[in-house]
Amino acid sequence: MTVPRILCVAEKPAIAKAVSQHLSGGSFQTISVRGNQYVKNYVFEFNFGNPWGTCSVTMTSVIGHLTALEFERQYKGWLSCPPGALFEAPVHEAVDSDKAAIAKNIKEQAKYCKALFIWTDCDREGEHIGTEVRTQAKAGNARIIVKRAKFSNTERAHVLNAARSLIELDDLQANAVAARIELDLRIGAAFTRLQTLQLKHMSEALSEKIISYGSCQFPTLGFVVDRYLRVKNFKPENFWGIKVMHVRDGIKVNFLWRRVHLFDRAAVTVMLERCLMAKKAKVTKVNQKPTSKWRPLPLTTVDLQMMGSRYLRLDSQKIMKVAEALYTKGFISYPRTETDQFDKAIDLKKLIEKQVPDENWGPYARGLLDGGYKTPRVGRHNDRAHPPIHPICWVSPTALSADEKKVYEFVVRRFLACCSEDAKGQTSEVEIQYGDEVFHAKGLLVLERNYLDVYVYDKWESSQQLPNFQMGELIEPTEAKIFDGKTTPPNYLTEPELIGLMDANGIGTDATMAEHIAKIKEREYVAVHSRGSGRNAVKELIPTRLGVALVEGYDNVVTGLPDSPSLSKPFLRKEMELRMREICAGSKSRTQVVQESLEMYREVFIHTQRRITMLKDAVRKYLVEGAAS
Amino acid sequence: MAISQDQIATQLLSTKSLPVSAAWLDNFVSSSALQRNIPLSAVTQTALFRILASDFRESLSTQTPSSLLPVDISDPTVQERRLQGPIPVQVLDIEDIGSSLWSQVEAIERVERGEAIRGREIVRTVNVDGDPEQGVDGADGHAAAAPTQPEAGNSNGPHRLIVQDAAGTKAVAIELKRVSGIAAGNLPIGAKILLRNATVARGMVLLTPDCLTLLGGKIDSLDQTWRQGRKERLIARITEMQREQES
Repeated sequence: MTVPRILCVAEKPAIAKAVSQHLSGGSFQTISVRGNQYVKNYVFEFNFGNPWGTCSVTMTSVIGHLTALEFERQYKGWLSCPPGALFEAPVHEAVDSDKAAIAKNIKEQAKYCKALFIWTDCDREGEHIGTEVRTQAKAGNARIIVKRAKFSNTERAHVLNAARSLIELDDLQANAVAARIELDLRIGAAFTRLQTLQLKHMSEALSEKIISYGSCQFPTLGFVVDRYLRVKNFKPENFWGIKVMHVRDGIKVNFLWRRVHLFDRAAVTVMLERCLMAKKAKVTKVNQKPTSKWRPLPLTTVDLQMMGSRYLRLDSQKIMKVAEALYTKGFISYPRTETDQFDKAIDLKKLIEKQVPDENWGPYARGLLDGGYKTPRVGRHNDRAHPPIHPICWVSPTALSADEKKVYEFVVRRFLACCSEDAKGQTSEVEIQYGDEVFHAKGLLVLERNYLDVYVYDKWESSQQLPNFQMGELIEPTEAKIFDGKTTPPNYLTEPELIGLMDANGIGTDATMAEHIAKIKEREYVAVHSRGSGRNAVKELIPTRLGVALVEGYDNVVTGLPDSPSLSKPFLRKEMELRMREICAGSKSRTQVVQESLEMYREVFIHTQRRITMLKDAVRKYLVEGAAS
Repeated sequence: MAISQDQIATQLLSTKSLPVSAAWLDNFVSSSALQRNIPLSAVTQTALFRILASDFRESLSTQTPSSLLPVDISDPTVQERRLQGPIPVQVLDIEDIGSSLWSQVEAIERVERGEAIRGREIVRTVNVDGDPEQGVDGADGHAAAAPTQPEAGNSNGPHRLIVQDAAGTKAVAIELKRVSGIAAGNLPIGAKILLRNATVARGMVLLTPDCLTLLGGKIDSLDQTWRQGRKERLIARITEMQREQES
């Protein structure tokens, strides 16, 4: 009896190698692929269980997408057609020229194989790449059977399990990606050509530039510009408030006004006078109650990027690169996930146990195993594809680069924190009524630090302790006076804030947000400035003149058109994203979604063409006149 | 038998504490062609409705001193005095003194752009064309489909009002304790209020739920002008403030 041959294809060479190692038990043959130095074929035997049994396996990989969508040749030149024609110009899928050898390898290998098992990452893009691989394999062997391995990390047992419980490729998810690719191509190309051709003659600085448009890029830029303008336009104003201080047992207790502050001096003066007229204040509330600071939720991609750029001083794109590398090496689970709840089936204690050898947090992990363990909190998100990001095994710090060490440490500490008890404390609150006004003082005593011991990123400190007050007691406050202050402008947008805004407004997916931010930096629509210095330095995003001009220009284009939101706003893109989800859910077809979304953008495109002077005026204002001044 | 003007006046005074002016009532009775058989209560109701939409300076009598604000009400040297009332007044201006002027300008601009903020999310409040699920409420085109009420939501107070009595005397009133119904953008200009046992301190009427009855109503022309000019007024005041600080 001959052993059946199976072709396995992963999304990246490193995954192919890691999976081969696990499936083969370490002994496999490596064969180079002609025409590509990165992709290798690994040959070994493996028993996939029923119905496959022991098979001869060739494991190979692609490098991301195999094909790209492009316009037919006659539409490729920038001046070949009016940009608006790109909304319906014919397009076709073609294998990237640098991927031809990879495609050929799959086609060749498929000829001898009974089945194709797809090992691309389990997310939307991975599903689409899977269909690209399938197309190539079927071209080589029309009768090949296609299955998919479902895995979310490259830990040995997990990979073996995935290999023995194969599922089907999800064409709905792949279709959603196909729709997204077509929309990005058409909309992106149409607007990019339009604005580049129209604006390039306006300024020396633009003559050699491509002024790109992307349906995620622009709303991302919009957030940065919006904040920038809020800072620029800000007007400081005076406010006044009442401060009450009372000395008891040698402790100065500062009572804060419930109203905080008001913007009317006369009103505050009258309120203070009425406090003083009352002479005595009455203690209306004395509260001592246990309080806790909750341990964090299981880690999602968005959170990793936000916390990472706040505490690790790495930008979001860098963090994702590093996390990706840690995942490929099998140290952490798949870093692209929306899920913030652990599946009950995961043995978390076993994962904790793996961290015991660590010099820094090992003892803490041991403590969790010795009774400190708590079941993690359950968040509200579940993408049904991947667990929250967590460490797969312990790795010696010497085996990691400096950045990898930071990200790995964060993932581990976060994971251990999730499995810990909340921090416990006690708050005391005293409230007094003085005249018609209410004031309060608060104290915090941290009793048990618990998760804070390992999650060094959160701060929670005891404050000054309050002396004893009796409920109903009358006191004559030592001092009551008016203070004044001024409102201050908001700060410029930081990267974690931007990610938060993109997430809340449906711009990009957790996987692509970092790329969009990198893109607007690369296009010189925004620049990064440092505020403060040393360890406290904060990196802020500030738009360039061109960035402000584009946003203002597009906002002006749609002024007075109630049903056409500006391209700098998140609304259009968000709707498109919702439609992608409808494809995934099977409630809308790919063609339907492409048509509907193109319609929305075509309308804005027509307005833009008609009112192109608005865009030019804005560019003139900021790049020509602004540059001269 | 026709209902006498006296009957209407007595009704309005006893149930709503509104001393209607005889001249206004004359005009009301003659212009509204009262039919026979209409019960007194219905006629009074109509009269009340008109009064609430009127300017108190025209519709109320100034004969009774106890239903008027003291002429020297704004005197800042008086530390405290009590207005027994009841005194009917109308609102001429309302402002949220718990928020900065600039933040109110920003809120107005968001509404102008058809946006509202829900947490970190920016929400469109204008109807998106061709989206049947959003529903078309508000046939006049500026429907608020989103659950957030942008203008009212941003007015947390306390508020400073300018009120006016039947004789035209104006006074500043401060919302000392939260009074439901008082919110910038929600309480129309010309809305009618009844003050009873209100405290006046340093020339300011202190508003609390116990001393105030909201009768409702508005003066359309004033309300419209107020709304249209609100943003400009806020900006003008900011500019003025800055100039003062610089000089």
